[in-house]
Amino acid sequence: MDFTYTPEQRQLRDAVSALGRKYGHGYFVEKAKAGQHTTELWAEAGKLGYLGVNVPAEYGGGGGGITELAIVCEELAAAGCPLLLLVVSPAIAATVIARHGSAEQRTELLPGFADGSLTVAFAITEPEAGSNAHRLATVARRDGDDWLLSGRKCFISGVDQADRILVVARTTDAATGRLKPALFLVPTDAPGLTKSKLDMEIVSPENQWLLYLDDVRVPAGALIGDEDAGLPALFSGLNPERITVAAMSAGTARYALSRAADYAAKRAVWGKPIGTHQGVAHPLAHAQIQVELARLMIAKAASLYDAGSDLEAGVAANMAKYASAEAAALAVDTAIQVHGGNGMTTEYGVATLLGAVRAGRIAPVSREMILNFVAQHVLGQDKSY
Amino acid sequence: MNIVVLVKQVPDSGSERGLSADDKTVDRGSANNVINEMDEYAIEEALKIQEAHGGEVTVLTVGPQQAAESIRKALSMGPDKAMHVVDDALHGSCALATSKVLAAAIGRLSPDLVISGAESTDGRVQVIPHMIAERLGIAALTGARKLVVDGATLTVERQTDEGYEVVTAATPAVVSVWDTINEPRYPSFKGIMAAKKKPVETLSLADLGIAADEVGLSGASSAVVEAGKRPPRQGGTKVTDEGDGGVKLVEFLASEKFV
Repeated sequence: MDFTYTPEQRQLRDAVSALGRKYGHGYFVEKAKAGQHTTELWAEAGKLGYLGVNVPAEYGGGGGGITELAIVCEELAAAGCPLLLLVVSPAIAATVIARHGSAEQRTELLPGFADGSLTVAFAITEPEAGSNAHRLATVARRDGDDWLLSGRKCFISGVDQADRILVVARTTDAATGRLKPALFLVPTDAPGLTKSKLDMEIVSPENQWLLYLDDVRVPAGALIGDEDAGLPALFSGLNPERITVAAMSAGTARYALSRAADYAAKRAVWGKPIGTHQGVAHPLAHAQIQVELARLMIAKAASLYDAGSDLEAGVAANMAKYASAEAAALAVDTAIQVHGGNGMTTEYGVATLLGAVRAGRIAPVSREMILNFVAQHVLGQDKSY
Repeated sequence: MNIVVLVKQVPDSGSERGLSADDKTVDRGSANNVINEMDEYAIEEALKIQEAHGGEVTVLTVGPQQAAESIRKALSMGPDKAMHVVDDALHGSCALATSKVLAAAIGRLSPDLVISGAESTDGRVQVIPHMIAERLGIAALTGARKLVVDGATLTVERQTDEGYEVVTAATPAVVSVWDTINEPRYPSFKGIMAAKKKPVETLSLADLGIAADEVGLSGASSAVVEAGKRPPRQGGTKVTDEGDGGVKLVEFLASEKFV
């Protein structure tokens, strides 16, 4: 067992960290509060190939894996810039298209993922089905060579920044008549597609949307793979999603703890820094340990995934996501407490993370669904739902 | 135009640094070692010249084995290859000896232009570029905030306390740069991956025809006699406004070279 990153992975970490610090949390918050996007950071990271580290080299990508993409997610977050669309576009959409897209789809789309010039949102969640792919009500039916998509989606990130949306719908199986999932690429300006912004209590430059699809017409080539590719394609995106979202949480936690550690070491009342008091230092140390444990599981999950062990990676990715979301919520809460009243100000830049880390315990998969998964698949318990 | 860029590995100036207790050389063992910050500007300048005029960029480092990591990092920004002079006998070398080794290595590469940072964050003596130029018998254009290459003519704006001087020279020459000259690029992921495959030539003192007793602590022309911790920060200067507060403020800022 080897716990060291390669020299190239370490250099990537340093380089992304330096880029992230050039922008910083102040930039992130300013953009969020002005209702703008982190366009400059996204474009620069894309140009440097950081957004396309996991895209195959033959399509202009970095030829790395989810380990590299997780490094990018973590280091940008650790610099105060947790970019949710990294989880959506390069992690989910690029993986699904690279692994299950047709040759035409790969040739057309992967170069855009490689340099970050293409952003693809991901739409699975529905008001009545949550993330249960078997209960999705969005349907796709054939109309000549085309498909017509109808349904509703909710909590879809970054639709206003995306060129296309990877929509999970269901088609009717010709043999059995049963519905099964299928993935379609829908342009964000497709006729019949409307969106409505969800107001969220999260300081983020990336917005959440409700989507309405009313007989949205897409050509046959918009279907990812073929009609039978839906379920495997869908699952292929889930491990990268969990691993990168966990990495983003871990980076956010590191950012909060580093702010808190700086503050505790410098803030002196009654003659000495508050960090010399165990009542302040121990909660920080405790949170630090939780974050490092989560990072270990993220590294394991990414390593298993990149080695092709999808099933083993699935367990590790879920556990990493759980551990990292919990650690990040603890780290930010502890960082705020250490800052006292300053912790809730915008200036000190820790309370600005509160909404995001709280949401991390719910999305993209809730802690309860992960506990169900572990109870059922690791501990052998009967399904509870 | 073939360019050699001098790259030094130094302890990170952002963290705690110190001298070894036994021989008073820079403590590299307990430090986070990075590329000397000013050298990144030198690399950037070399790459910009290469983009405009073609040629090859070679990174040259004199330093211990662990400096190889900084060489890879420098290469990830874009230079074509590197030369690493590594020899245990170099430990504790003074500026004169270091310049001898660098000049010998540069001599093997015979570049049109040598670019370095104006100073390193550990030694801070600022003399290496001059010494190299002297040893090679070529011009030294030091402390540049701007460099223009026009055929074989180099023109620099040489930064001074009062302003800048315009200095020109013909190639070959040594140019040292300040961090005002450009904005170093971040290494791209492809650059990082490509750096792994770029050639790094490793040379010993013997390869350069330099005897071990000409360098190192024993061959040093200067010695560190004593070293102490930086004294704690003194209280600030208080300017009391007696009608001339503005003037006093500007005088203070000017004396500290803030304005």
